[in-house]
Amino acid sequence: MDEKNLQNRFYDTPYGRKILKCIQCGTCSASCPLTGLMEHGPREIFALIRDGDMEPALRSETPWYCVSCYQCIARCPQEIPVIDLMYCLKRMSIEYDLVPDSHKIPDLYRAFSQVVGHHGRISEAMVMAHYGMLHPLDALKNISVALELLKRKRLEILPQQIIGRRWVAQLSDREKVRKYIK
Amino acid sequence: MKYGFFPGCSYSSAAGYRESIDAINRLFGIQLVEIPDWNCCGATALFSLNEFKALALTGRLFALSQASGFREIVTVCNACYTTLRKANQILSNNPEIVSKINEDLSKEGLSLEGEFSVRHYLDVLYNDVPEETWSENLTERLKDYEVACYYGCQFTRPWGDIDHMEQPTILDRFIERLGFLPVDHSARTICCGASHAISYAKECRLLISRIIREVRAKGGRVITTICPLCQFNLDSGQKGISNPIPVPFFTQLAGLALGINASELGLDKLLVPINRILSRKL
Ligand code: SF4
Ligand code: SF4
Ligand code: SF4
Ligand code: SF4
Repeated sequence: MDEKNLQNRFYDTPYGRKILKCIQCGTCSASCPLTGLMEHGPREIFALIRDGDMEPALRSETPWYCVSCYQCIARCPQEIPVIDLMYCLKRMSIEYDLVPDSHKIPDLYRAFSQVVGHHGRISEAMVMAHYGMLHPLDALKNISVALELLKRKRLEILPQQIIGRRWVAQLSDREKVRKYIK
Repeated sequence: MKYGFFPGCSYSSAAGYRESIDAINRLFGIQLVEIPDWNCCGATALFSLNEFKALALTGRLFALSQASGFREIVTVCNACYTTLRKANQILSNNPEIVSKINEDLSKEGLSLEGEFSVRHYLDVLYNDVPEETWSENLTERLKDYEVACYYGCQFTRPWGDIDHMEQPTILDRFIERLGFLPVDHSARTICCGASHAISYAKECRLLISRIIREVRAKGGRVITTICPLCQFNLDSGQKGISNPIPVPFFTQLAGLALGINASELGLDKLLVPINRILSRKL
């Protein structure tokens, strides 16, 4: 893996160079609700990238723990778009096949995306059905809630189908377009 | 008052959200016109996997809205609200992407151009329905009932234009206008863990219980929310704890304050029951 090359790839993404302004104050990591689960907080991830340690940054579970809550962004003194950088790391880790196997969120997002691709909309039950094939324990844990919802006529199994679902399904994976984004 | 409406995927199964919004709309003559054939906005999941798809999905929504004559889109979910606003911002600064998306959209006979404004239904009720209309229609019966407002994390962020990013008050002001007593607390915008609650349930329970504990300590008797996922996580996340706090939508509380019959507000769909508490007051 050519670390230098990866670092440049990262810097060339729309917000990549913003991390050069990071003053390593740690406000983001201290504010993040998921920080307790992360091996490296956002601050450390940016330090890794600046040091050129791209593989550990891309293999890290941190971006997958990020729930886009914007807490870090609300407080960062340097106005660094942490979430957009996390999105970027996630997409790069997919591109370079470095998605951490141990993490469950990539499977959850893929399940979500598959259901959107098939139907155009999601139902929680259908996302769970796709995801549950890979993580049956998580699905089982949710059965009691599902029954509660069923009792209250709130469980929708099939997503509503939209007319444009074929259009949605054909959306090709055009990662290249990313370079246009300013 | 007529708006384009993007309900989002969680709307129809949410606990009485639709029922209460329909009831308020009937009373005030607000028309929410559903964008025909809308698709899921993709939210964090799609932005994490494939940015073009994420933008094309939201682009299609805007194009559909444009085709039905609406430049103003009302949402009822925090994730939809922020996702659409974010996409709107990216698209309006990147004409190259819009033309790529338009190439694809032309297959559906759609095209996307110009600006859109994305709003939350809370904003509509608070700012577009005049204060006098509210006061003329309110009943007194829930006066001074202690309500904790939970905004979730994505409503005010990242722009902070509708209200303060960390300590917003618009929902508190709304609740106060209805006659309730908003309680001051510090969990207004603390994240509940979103869809991570599926995969990392135990960890997210900690986030949720932190919110519940704070509200309880500050004397909130119900927690009101403005987003189906916030509502679901706080409601289902209290399973097994003693004296759980009911989590009605802000529209259900508004309905009660307006004297709309509880049975029309879908209150029986909440997981933590609210009726017992209300009947003491009603
Ligand atoms: S809060 Fe901002 S400046 Fe501080 S460490 Fe995080 S990203 Fe860097
Ligand atoms: S947006 Fe992501 S990184 Fe920032 S505080 Fe929230 S979860 Fe943590
Ligand atoms: S963000 Fe959630 S509710 Fe909104 S459209 Fe997407 S899946 Fe549906
Ligand atoms: S609090 Fe949870 S559900 Fe609500 S907006 Fe934030 S992440 Fe989404």
